[in-house]
Amino acid sequence: MACLKFTKSHEWVRVEEGLVTIGISEYAQRQLGDVVFVELPSKGAKVSKGSQIGTIESTKTASEVYTPLSGEVVEVNEDLVNNPQWVNESPLEKGWMIKLKAEDSSELDELMEESQYKAFVEEESH
Amino acid sequence: MERKLIFDKDRGCRNSSYITPSLDIKPEEIFGGDMLREDLSLPDISESEVVRHYMQLARLNFSVDTNFYPLGSCTMKYNPKINEYLSGLEGFSRIHPLQREDDLQGALELMYEFQNLLCALTGMKAFAFQPSSGAQGELTGILMVRSFHEINGSKKSKVIVPDSAHGTNPATATMCGYETVVIESRDGLVDIHQLEKSFDEDVAALMLTNPNTLGLFEKDILKISRIVHERGGLLYYDGANFNPLMGIAKPALMGFDIIHLNLHKTFSTPHGCGGPGAGIVGAVEPLEEFLPLPRIKKRNKTFYLDYGSEKSLGSPRTFFGNFDVLVKAYAYILRLGREGLKRAAQNSVLNANYIKKKLEKYYQPAYSKQCMHEVVFSCSEQKKRGASALDIAKRLIDYRIHPPTMYFPLIVKEALMVEPTETENKEMLDYFIRAMIKIDEDTEKNPQKLKSSPHKAAVGRVDETRAARMPVLAHTGCGKHKKSQKT
Amino acid sequence: MPYIPNSPSQIKEMLRACGVKSPADFYSDLPEEIRIKDDLDIPAGISEQQLKRKLLALSDKNRPLDKFNSFLGAGCYDHYIPAALSFIISQPEFSTAYTPYQAECSQGALQAIYEYQSYICRLTGMDVSNASLLDGGSALAEAVLMSARLNRRNTVIISEALNPEYKEVLKTYLKGHDLKTYEVQVSGEGKTDLSMFLNACDKDTSCLVFQSPNFFGVVENLIEIKKLFKDESVLKIMVTNPLSLAVFKEPSSFGFDIVCGDGQPLGGGLRLGGACFGFLAAKKEYLRQVPGRIVGKTLDSHGNVAYCLTLQAREQHIRREKARSNICSNQSLNALASAVYLSLLGRKGLREVALTSMSNAHYLRQGLSRIRGIKLTFSPLIFNEFVWFTDNAPQVLNELYKKGIIAGYYIGKHFNKYNGGVLSCCTEKKTKEEINDFINSLAEVLHGEKAYIR
Repeated sequence: MACLKFTKSHEWVRVEEGLVTIGISEYAQRQLGDVVFVELPSKGAKVSKGSQIGTIESTKTASEVYTPLSGEVVEVNEDLVNNPQWVNESPLEKGWMIKLKAEDSSELDELMEESQYKAFVEEESH
Repeated sequence: MERKLIFDKDRGCRNSSYITPSLDIKPEEIFGGDMLREDLSLPDISESEVVRHYMQLARLNFSVDTNFYPLGSCTMKYNPKINEYLSGLEGFSRIHPLQREDDLQGALELMYEFQNLLCALTGMKAFAFQPSSGAQGELTGILMVRSFHEINGSKKSKVIVPDSAHGTNPATATMCGYETVVIESRDGLVDIHQLEKSFDEDVAALMLTNPNTLGLFEKDILKISRIVHERGGLLYYDGANFNPLMGIAKPALMGFDIIHLNLHKTFSTPHGCGGPGAGIVGAVEPLEEFLPLPRIKKRNKTFYLDYGSEKSLGSPRTFFGNFDVLVKAYAYILRLGREGLKRAAQNSVLNANYIKKKLEKYYQPAYSKQCMHEVVFSCSEQKKRGASALDIAKRLIDYRIHPPTMYFPLIVKEALMVEPTETENKEMLDYFIRAMIKIDEDTEKNPQKLKSSPHKAAVGRVDETRAARMPVLAHTGCGKHKKSQKT
Repeated sequence: MPYIPNSPSQIKEMLRACGVKSPADFYSDLPEEIRIKDDLDIPAGISEQQLKRKLLALSDKNRPLDKFNSFLGAGCYDHYIPAALSFIISQPEFSTAYTPYQAECSQGALQAIYEYQSYICRLTGMDVSNASLLDGGSALAEAVLMSARLNRRNTVIISEALNPEYKEVLKTYLKGHDLKTYEVQVSGEGKTDLSMFLNACDKDTSCLVFQSPNFFGVVENLIEIKKLFKDESVLKIMVTNPLSLAVFKEPSSFGFDIVCGDGQPLGGGLRLGGACFGFLAAKKEYLRQVPGRIVGKTLDSHGNVAYCLTLQAREQHIRREKARSNICSNQSLNALASAVYLSLLGRKGLREVALTSMSNAHYLRQGLSRIRGIKLTFSPLIFNEFVWFTDNAPQVLNELYKKGIIAGYYIGKHFNKYNGGVLSCCTEKKTKEEINDFINSLAEVLHGEKAYIR
């Protein structure tokens, strides 16, 4: 069973079969507005916790995406680059950004569960 | 009906020429064929058709001469026509920048005298005229800051800007190799406590707009200046909002070391759909020698170019900058004189406060204090009712009013920033106020009408998302001379 | 008061509505110390009539180029401008509008800028163009910074034959960056020494900057450049005179990544060098790093074609300290003027202007070659200007000036080693008589010889 976790910078993380998939949350995509451009890292890139793994641009703003986990990028959602609207339409499914082979699964423990994240968002939007 | 591009009007032939050609050269005899162009894909159209094409385009545009244009932070005041005429005089328009100084005495004298007037207005010691936009003025000014610290042997790495600053401020800091530190505002003004906390020995300068982008005067400016200077920093004045202070207060007395002035805002030169403008830079005495070169000096009765200062940061632009803009701004100051400038400033403030007063029942001002030349409203309440600041802005187009600046400053939610300027009369302000009140009513009664606006413009709501997702940035086909090109 | 339309009674009424007695009440937040008392050293206002008299007197102290037989160029060219051009760009909707942020009421400006971008793409052969930059110098600086962002390397190699004004601007723009500039000298014939250029390249090289026609008027060996510099990770930047592209192949065909320069030759006029604008065009893969405004084509809510500013997330008002550049205002109306110029002239007309300028320059060069003591050591592969050498160049220029001839620009000012060099330019405006007058007068100044060519 896949488990979904969230970061304070509004990324989501899903752990499946030893791989970690990362994208941005429903709340984040709504804040951004119409996404027009997505920039992703290249496959094979080594990333460390907290580093930037991509950029998302909307008509109104540009925002960086950070990885909450260290590891190696093993897959990137190439189709997303040509279909940036997927971030809006389907942030948790078609809008995934990268798959990561995580180095240290204990880093996952620092992330929020869905219910915690909901409360966090509630608080932030006030 | 789809509007045609100029390229679609190509007739493939033209019968007239503007010049008397003497085409006795055969380029292929001088250059190898590999260097020469085979096909130049430009349209051939008759003059009458070209004129009509652009006249039709012009009519699709709002402008200060045709519409109320209260675009906040842009000071879209009336552009006096005499100034256009004067800048077009042969003696100003038909001179080459590399002519001898004795052939350019009038131009040099004009710049010299203009400098004197600006120094009187601002308290600066000298001005440089090359910077051709506000942003280039900032670049020049912050590079001067950099040179100043370098020569004094102190390496600094940061520039502070308030969170209400124009985007050009942090972007400039980056271009000058500085890290930007943003400090939060408190009641719309610089938070002195935060400033003290953030201003360490690594900070090179504070960039400040005063009155700031919320239309508020930084009343603690002397305290701010003291903090900045005590800690070895410099104070930079973004002159985008100088209009309400002309003839009333001097930036030098506030403690500013380097300033830029936007001649295309405060000093009435037209903005031409985005330029040419001028962002001329002034400095107080110890920083004067860092200004760009050449400087214009006077010896006996002769004006000359001085390339003397070794501390100068160099040149941000070729030649003398946008000279015709300088002529217009100089003429503007002469025409108004000390009393006229002051009256213009005061009336810009009066007009903004009048709008604020008349609309505050309907739209929430970002701050309740009296404003200077512009007022920022938050449309959060309207948004709850179903129409955003964007919808309100677009609906204004149906009233033939250019929308105010939207969603800026960033710290105000659903912001609309209104700057009427002093050159609008009460009737026009009242018309705008009535339109805004009607629109506010519609946020309740008929939000859909706002969301789908404008209804009477040249085009319906333009899909900016589509433009950015699928960029089409140039026309590639060309009538008969189509050249296949992939986009 | 000029330009304040409200009557005193209206002003009173508005003050009352605001709940204040006088406009001074709005300024209560201003500390006493910063206020101007009665000490503002600015004269009282004057009437429009007086203003006109005063500025006419000032303008009369200048000597416009038309009073001379002038061969000045060096980055600012005196081309003929069709009367329809100034008529079009003085339309208030073009001249008194702001940047077209609000697409629905700015379609005229937006379409005109879109057409401008298309024109620049056509001339240069590149895929994308921005809506203009401030001038040729800053356009080059932006192109260099763009390269550094793209490949994150820190050396810039430029040709000595780059316009010295551009070098100065580039140097200024690079002050805040950790980028080193190497200048490669020209060969004896005024051309960039490509083998030295190649030697200067290493793994830190971010970009190579060539100008063609270069500052000395010489057309660089672009074919050789294409052959020699194959490393695609090093960006190749070409600075050019856009008018020359009516004759020469588009820079894209020589493998350049970014093409930039000053658009002044396209209908800009002189205005003491103020009537310029920077153009910058690039391959489409670099689009995201292009600085400045860009207009794109899209649809409106009814599905009709419309235009708007696009890709704004690159720019300062959105990305702030992470923006590609701080540029905001550009030189829109000057760029628009160039599009109007190209529309008025068309393919045939532009070629005619370019070829006539070129013919005149070659004719002049040939004439000078027949004068004893005039050395033409630089390459004859020129477009509209060229360098000639003589002993005591400043003195010779002075003598010619006394005869009403501005023979050109003395390049010894910037290049010590060329202290006998003069850069002379011909546009299509030069008549055969004027050119002959220059040739004859020069012969006379040097040798006291009488009429030489008729």
